[in-house]
Amino acid sequence: MTMPFDAEDELDDAALLARYAAGDAAAARQLTLRLTPRVFAHALRLLGNRAEAEDVAQEALIRLWRIAPEWRAGEAKVSTWLYRVTANLCTDRLRRRKSVPLDDAPELPDPAQGAEDGLQQQARASALQQALGALPDRQREAVVLRHIEGLGNPEIAAIMNIGPRAVESLIARGKRALTEMLAGRRNELGYHDD
Amino acid sequence: MTDDPDFLDDFFAAARKTRPEPGADLLARVQADALAMQPVAGARAAPARPGLWAQIVAALGGWPAVAGLATATVAGVWIGVAQPAGLADSLSAVLYGSETLSVDPIGAFDLVLLEG
Repeated sequence: MTMPFDAEDELDDAALLARYAAGDAAAARQLTLRLTPRVFAHALRLLGNRAEAEDVAQEALIRLWRIAPEWRAGEAKVSTWLYRVTANLCTDRLRRRKSVPLDDAPELPDPAQGAEDGLQQQARASALQQALGALPDRQREAVVLRHIEGLGNPEIAAIMNIGPRAVESLIARGKRALTEMLAGRRNELGYHDD
Repeated sequence: MTDDPDFLDDFFAAARKTRPEPGADLLARVQADALAMQPVAGARAAPARPGLWAQIVAALGGWPAVAGLATATVAGVWIGVAQPAGLADSLSAVLYGSETLSVDPIGAFDLVLLEG
C-alpha cells in the first residue's frame, strides 16, 4: 500500500483534531500521516525495537482517537500529550522486559545517503541508540526529547511531569554517561586524534 | 574521554538525519483505527437542551401559533378597553339577535328519560 506523504501544516494539530472529531475523514488521514512518524520514531528511540515501537505508536494514537471528541484546544498541545502517552506506554513495556536489555543492534533505517558519509552517519546514529539503551529510562527520555526531537525544557517538563530543573539534571547526567560510553569508540566512529 | 563539547552533537545530528520512518503497514493500521473510531459526522452537532422560552414556544405550537395568540390577545384587550360603539351594537345583534331566544335543555332531557 502506498500513501503520499502530503500532510500539510496549514492547520495545527488541535484544529485538525477538532475536524477529525466532527467527522472529517480527510482530517483522519492527515493526522495519521502527520503524527504517526513522530510517535513511531520517539517510541523506537525509547525502546530500540521496531515491532514494539509500532505497537506502541498504534496504541498511543488509538488513545488520541478515543479522546478526540473531548479534546479542548488550548489546554495542552497534542504533541505534548502524545509524547507523554508514548513514553508511558514505552515505560510499561520496559518494565515488563525487566532485566532483558535493549537490543544490542538497534533497528534503524538504512541511511538515505549511499556514500561513505551516509554510512558514517548511520554508524554514529546506531552507536548513539545503543548507548541510549544503556541509560536509565528517564534520562533516555529527557535526552531524546531535548537533543533528537528538539524540544525546549518547558515542554519536556510538561511531558515528563517534572520541574525544569529536574529536566536539566536528567539531561546533564544522561549526556555525561553517553559521552563516557561513546568516547571509547571514537576511532571506530570516524574520529581520529590529530 | 573527550572534552570536545561538540562530540555528542555529531551523534545527535546523525540521529536526526536518520530518523526512523514508519512502514506503510503501520500507517495503514493507524488510519484504519482513525476511521473506525471517528465520531459520525454531525453527531456532535446535536443541539443543547432548549431554554425555557424555547420550550414555551414549542408547547404553544411554534412561532406562528404564538403570533396568532398575541394578535388575538391584543384584539381582545382593545375591544375590552375601547368598546367601539358601532362594534358593540353589531356584536350584540350578531350574538343575541333582536329577540330573546329561550332554551330549556332540562325539559328535553326529562322527556328522554320518561320515554326510555
